[in-house]
Amino acid sequence: MSTWLETRRKAAAESSEALGVPSLSDEHWRFTSLRGIDFDRYAVSAEATAGDMAGAILGEGDHAGRLVMRDGGVVAEELLADVAAQGVVFGSLARLADEHAALIEPILGTIVGYDERFAAENGALWTDGLLLHVPAGVKVQLPFHTAYEIATAESAQQWRVIVSLGEGAEATLVEEHLPGQPGYANGVAELVLAETAHLTYVVVQDRNDASLHFAAHRAEIAKDATLEWSACSIGSKTGKTRMETRLTGEGSTGRLSAVYVVDGKRHLDLDTTQEHDAPNAVSDLAFKGVLLDSARSVWRGVIRVAEGAHGTDAYQENRNLMLSPTARADSIPGLEIDTNDVRCTHGATAGPVDPMLKFYLMSRGIPQAEAERMIVEGFLEEALERIPDLRIREALTTAVMRRVPV
Amino acid sequence: MPDLVIRNLHANIADSDTEILKGIDLELSKGEIHAIMGPNGSGKSTLSHVLMGHPGYEVTEGEIIFEGENLLDMAADERSRAGLFLSFQYPFAVPGVTVANFIRMAVNAHRKGGPDGADDPIRIPEFRKQLQDAMEMLEIDKSMSSRSLNDGFSGGEKKRFEILQMAMLKPKLAILDETDSGLDIDALRIVSGGINALMGPDMGTLIITHYQRILDYVEPDRIHVLVDGRIVRSGGPELAKELETTGYAELAKETVS
Repeated sequence: MSTWLETRRKAAAESSEALGVPSLSDEHWRFTSLRGIDFDRYAVSAEATAGDMAGAILGEGDHAGRLVMRDGGVVAEELLADVAAQGVVFGSLARLADEHAALIEPILGTIVGYDERFAAENGALWTDGLLLHVPAGVKVQLPFHTAYEIATAESAQQWRVIVSLGEGAEATLVEEHLPGQPGYANGVAELVLAETAHLTYVVVQDRNDASLHFAAHRAEIAKDATLEWSACSIGSKTGKTRMETRLTGEGSTGRLSAVYVVDGKRHLDLDTTQEHDAPNAVSDLAFKGVLLDSARSVWRGVIRVAEGAHGTDAYQENRNLMLSPTARADSIPGLEIDTNDVRCTHGATAGPVDPMLKFYLMSRGIPQAEAERMIVEGFLEEALERIPDLRIREALTTAVMRRVPV
Repeated sequence: MPDLVIRNLHANIADSDTEILKGIDLELSKGEIHAIMGPNGSGKSTLSHVLMGHPGYEVTEGEIIFEGENLLDMAADERSRAGLFLSFQYPFAVPGVTVANFIRMAVNAHRKGGPDGADDPIRIPEFRKQLQDAMEMLEIDKSMSSRSLNDGFSGGEKKRFEILQMAMLKPKLAILDETDSGLDIDALRIVSGGINALMGPDMGTLIITHYQRILDYVEPDRIHVLVDGRIVRSGGPELAKELETTGYAELAKETVS
């Protein structure tokens, strides 16, 4: 293994050790308790476990490339020949690490640093994952499909994703975290978009209901580039998912739409940033969640506008539909603005199904259960309809609605 | 027996002692148009909501019989499938559900309401045709059918879409709650035209209104004046004109004394 990689793993390990597991007194962990979780009991899988992936929501249809990581390694990968011929690199990160060190070295551990426990731990322990590089000017029409699964119960999967789009490149990447077996998943995804690049990024988190899921996704978006990011979180028992966008170039756009359904005693924690480091950039975040039973969701979102980022247009909203009186949703929006001439708006709500709206639907002959379902679906649809690809949108709608029993 | 019989109807705001309807008696048969007029706060909208089964009110006394069935035993959706339709004064926005999908769900819920309860969904081309015809009648732009129902619609648009739903569901009893409010003269003409086109021997209509304006377009057979939760006077169409000059206050006074 390369020396630079060894050096980074070592730095990450030291940082992870020094940071320790966060407690409720850490500001970012105020609403998510990790007490009682014995992370050491999950042995990190070093090897891949053969087998077919099951439970993928977006696996059907034509793809430019496919990749499956089961436990510690990639078990299946393929890339269309004509896509490869255009210089696209797509495949196992472990396999390609040496050959494409020049691509990886500037990104790995620099986009997502080691200043947070789980990202640092992953920096030290990641075993495999994805490398996707689309060279400048190459536009890939078909989506890339990737899936991550824990196949061995009670083990840990340390996954890593690196995506780099050259100037004017275009691609769609689907990343599914499958139910598989219960265990501990921890990963980092680093995405870099060069000028005028366009990435559609779809992340489905459907991990086992007894699994721990930790993830830090972070994108840097250069001048006039666009990230169209959709997330659907319906699985896992607890954990934290960071979704961060940094707009580094003038006129760049980061749109982030998420839907989630949490039931039982499950806990979902989403942490987002929209960091405006350049003028006239647009960020737009819409998160919509449905909570059942005694489930809990936490969303903490911050819009940061750096000095000089004039003409910023930033929006964030988190709306929660509470289908149970014992469910709880916390929304913590935040603005940190260091410049004038910006437009930043945010909103957060949590409430039950409006009984008057339900009456309106029922007054048209629609039975109560169907009316409630229609209201829930309509509520989520407002975020889902932001997904440009109709096939992906419909599959995700079906997947989230399967989680709603009414 | 008339198709709709309301006897001694008393209703409260749910979970309170505030009585809004204080003994209403009313009879209406299919083929007839009745208007209920009254000042603000007289209980007009409450009556329309209670007829439809609004959860915010509680019937404390009396009965509502429609085609021999006791409506008070039925939830709002069952009342709708039994043939009632309420055009809301303030229709709700249904975000994320398109006009076409919403109406199709409602139409299918009605078709399912048969004795065996089996699914009998309307064929899509047939539905499209019916919806298109109804939209044309109400001068609604075709592109509106793919928008979320009432979401961001103007007051006048919402009223048109209420009548559109009515046209598609073909009720036996239509209750129009302040359908004329918020309409400009052109919209009033279009909406009234729609109501008249749908009216016939198989439908009864109850128009609830503060002003007599809509009655210039949709001609009632009977007019009832509602004041403080009671019908204080009933009469023919000429009653509307009389109200216009005397006002509700005067009328209430002379009736009580």
